[in-house]
Order: sequence, then C-alpha cells, then structure tokens
Amino acid sequence: MKLTRITAIALSIGAVLGVAGCATASAPSTEPIVIGSQAYYSNEIIAETYAQVLEDAGYTVDRQFSLGQRDVYVPALEAGEIDLFPEYTGNLLQFFVPEATQTAADDVYAALAKSLPAGLTALAMSPATDQDSYNVTKEFASKNKLESIADLAKVDGLILGGAPELAERPYGPTGLLEKYGVTVSFQATGDTTVDSLVAGIVNMANVYSADPRIQQLGLVTLSDPKGLFLASNVVPIASDKVPADARKLIDAVSAAMSAQDLVALNVRSVDEKLSAAVIAREWLVSKGLLK
Amino acid sequence: MCDFGELGTWLCAEGTWTGQYGLGNLLVEHLLLTVVALIVAALIAIPLGMFIGHTGRGSFVVIGLGSLSRAIPTMGLLFALVLLLGVQFRELSVVLALALIALPPLIAGAYSGVTTIAPGIRDSATAQGMTTWQLVRHVELPLASPSLIGGFRIAFIQVVSTVVLAPLVGLGGLGFGIIQGLALRNFAQVTVSAVIIIVITIAGEQLIGLGQRRAEARLVAPKGLEKP
Repeated sequence: MKLTRITAIALSIGAVLGVAGCATASAPSTEPIVIGSQAYYSNEIIAETYAQVLEDAGYTVDRQFSLGQRDVYVPALEAGEIDLFPEYTGNLLQFFVPEATQTAADDVYAALAKSLPAGLTALAMSPATDQDSYNVTKEFASKNKLESIADLAKVDGLILGGAPELAERPYGPTGLLEKYGVTVSFQATGDTTVDSLVAGIVNMANVYSADPRIQQLGLVTLSDPKGLFLASNVVPIASDKVPADARKLIDAVSAAMSAQDLVALNVRSVDEKLSAAVIAREWLVSKGLLK
Repeated sequence: MCDFGELGTWLCAEGTWTGQYGLGNLLVEHLLLTVVALIVAALIAIPLGMFIGHTGRGSFVVIGLGSLSRAIPTMGLLFALVLLLGVQFRELSVVLALALIALPPLIAGAYSGVTTIAPGIRDSATAQGMTTWQLVRHVELPLASPSLIGGFRIAFIQVVSTVVLAPLVGLGGLGFGIIQGLALRNFAQVTVSAVIIIVITIAGEQLIGLGQRRAEARLVAPKGLEKP
C-alpha cells in the first residue's frame, strides 16, 4: 500500500516534470491517455501512430494493445477505461446497429456518429479503408472475365469461403443473391480462407481489403458497384477525456493515411516482421508528422 | 416454444437444425471427427502400450508422453499441421492433432493394465504352455481391459471437447455454432451449441464408464471360486 502511494507520487512528479519540460503551448493533462487496439497487427500499427504523435506533443500515453475483439473492448470503451481506439466505420456501425443498411462511406460515418454511446465520439474518418471484399485468383478471373461482383452472375458452381459469420451477414450469400443475382454455396473456411482460395477449395473468398496477401498472391478484388459491402474507413473513437488539441493531432494522422499507405504498412509488418512501433514511426516521419 | 425469447426464436429459425451448418449435421461431424481420431489413436496406442507393459521396455515413453500431453498446445499443433500438410489436408490435420492428444491416456491405460497383472497369473499361463501371443491375447488383453477402457474414457473427454477447434481451419463440428455465434453476438446459438457439447461429453463418458464397469464385473471370479 505504502509502496503504491510512493509510486503514484513518483509518477505524478514525473508527469508534471514532463509537462513542464515540454515546449508546446497547450498544457496536456497529467492523466495518461489510454490508447487501445484490437488483436490485429494492422490495427496495432494505427494505434501506435496515435500514441507516438501524442507522445511527441508531450502527452502521457498508456498503451493497452491487443485487446481482442469488439465484445471485449467496446464495454471497456463505454466504461471510460480506454480513451482512444482505432476503429473501422462499417464494422463498428454493424456492431452497434446490426440491421444498418448504409453502405456509402459518408452515410456509414454519419450513422455511426449517431449510434455511438454517450461519452464516445468518432473523430474525422481517414481515407484509409480496411473492409470486406470478395476476391478470386487471377486465373479464375481471366478464365471467367471477372472484374466486378456483377460478372459472377454468369458463373456456375461458385463456392464462397469466409469466416463462419459470413453465412449470416447482410453481404453474405443472401446479399449476393439479392443485389447481384449471384448464387453461391458457402464454405466456412475460418482462418484458412486465403489458403483455401489458392488451393481451390473455394473459388471466391472474403478477405479484408488491406490484407497484404491480396498483393502478394496476385488476387483479384472484385469491384462492388452496387454497394454490397459497408464502407469501412479507419476512424478513431475518442472518449471525452481526449482534449481538443490531442484530437487535432489525431485528425492529422487520419487525413495523412491513404488506403495504399495502410496496405503498405501491413506489408511491412508481414514481410519484414518489423514491430508496430518501428513501422508507425517511419511512416509518421515520411509524412512529416514526426521529426 | 418459439415465443420463448431469443433462444426460442433461434431454435425455430430456418437452418438451425438442417443443412450443412445445421445442428444435426454439425453433431454428426463432431462425433465422426471424435471417433475417427480415437480409432487412429487406439491403433497406435494399444499395441504400443501393451508392448511396453508386456516387455517392460521403454516405460519412460509412457511417463514422457503423459507429461508431454499436458504441454502441447492443441491449437498451435493444429495450425502447425495445417501449414505443414497444406489446407487440402485439413481433415487429416485435425484428426492427427486430436489423435496426438488422445495417445497419452490410451498408452497409459494399456500399459498400466498390463503391468498391474499379478505375476502369478502370467506364470501359470506360461506353465500351461501358452505362447506369447496366446498370453497377450487370452490373458493380458482381457485383464487389462478395464484400465484400457479407462484410458479411452479420458481420451474421449479430451478429444470431444477439443473438436471445437475444427471450424478454425474450415471444418465443421459443434464449435461452428460457438465461433459463428460469438461473431454474430447470437448468444442463443452459442449457448445451445455449448450445451450440446457438454451433454455429449457427459453422456459419452458415462457410456464408456458403464463399459468399464462391465469389463471389471466380467473379471470377478464366479461365486465359490474366490480366493480363500
């Protein structure tokens, strides 16, 4: 008990000194900003960019990364245990409003802003997206002359692979039939979806659009002209504890990150096995957000 | 029953019981994977365990395997096997991973069943002129059977509750309802799937336990022939 108190005092002295030594005009609060991330390497890199930008401005940051899935961390966000979290507009909207019908990026963002619980705000969304997409192999695409999901209507014997929950998602087999007249049978391929596509167990697969393997394996992502998928842009979710100045810094990071940037960051993680901190730092420097 | 809240709605929904991912088919797949894995494991474990028990050679294998089985993370093993063999052979990967966790209790059951046979029984069998094969087949195997079945009992519980991982690599089984249900926040589906897994685990364990008691009862000497 005594020890904890001493540690607490030491920490607050450290924090005060840190603030005093900082040259920025704003006076960041001494309480650390708790930044969370999903247990997903790409999400952790984005969270790390937020953390480094805030630290550079003199804020104290507490990294609580790899917090699993939404069922785990959303309650923590609502309870105010986490202050900042990189999220995805479409997937988060679907979490709060499972029956949401919006698919266009701006509509999804607006709907999400309205459905967030009290105390949480969606900061400006980034042009970077990481969303569901249907992919086929290059051979399959050229053999059947496929460019968009609509082209699938003339192909027989389609087997769609994806996570088990895809069977029930609005953009799953039901949505394919209703929006595009495409009939598929479904195979729950779980974590082996991309491998199953390459091995020919399925001939189309649901892969996140920022997955480096799309580039590496030369998969063809089918375009979605009728908006079957919800747009899912990267969006920081902030609690009321995140001050306005900090929000501006995060907004700058969001604005600087393009969809290609996000894929490139993921490629570095998968190919070069670099840590999230290193990848985030080098990207921030390349964008002039850090020196 | 369909009015019974979230649970009733799901139980009455189309596709809950029938189809490729209906509970009926998932249950069959779950049991099939369990049984196949147990058979594969038994084909290796019973001869090996009895050989070690009979000859007394390599008993360190039993002890080693026993402790190893607690150290192997099944999920890691499963993914490693899928990566190694390729996704085309995911059925084989799942069966191998499950068989590997079933091996130690089966070997231990066969081994201890044979080693606990009183030396006098073996000696008298040999004195009657039994060959080694006859000794194994007609004396050791029947006398070891309760312990052997006990090994099955443990192996079954471990395997039937680990098959839940199969949907992670794209196969079926009742774990599907848990993994899909969690992602969809369909807790009725998660609960029902989990309860079915619990029920078949307990039912199977009880059934094998019954077999074990039967085997023990057969070994009790008939009335009038007990030891004085």
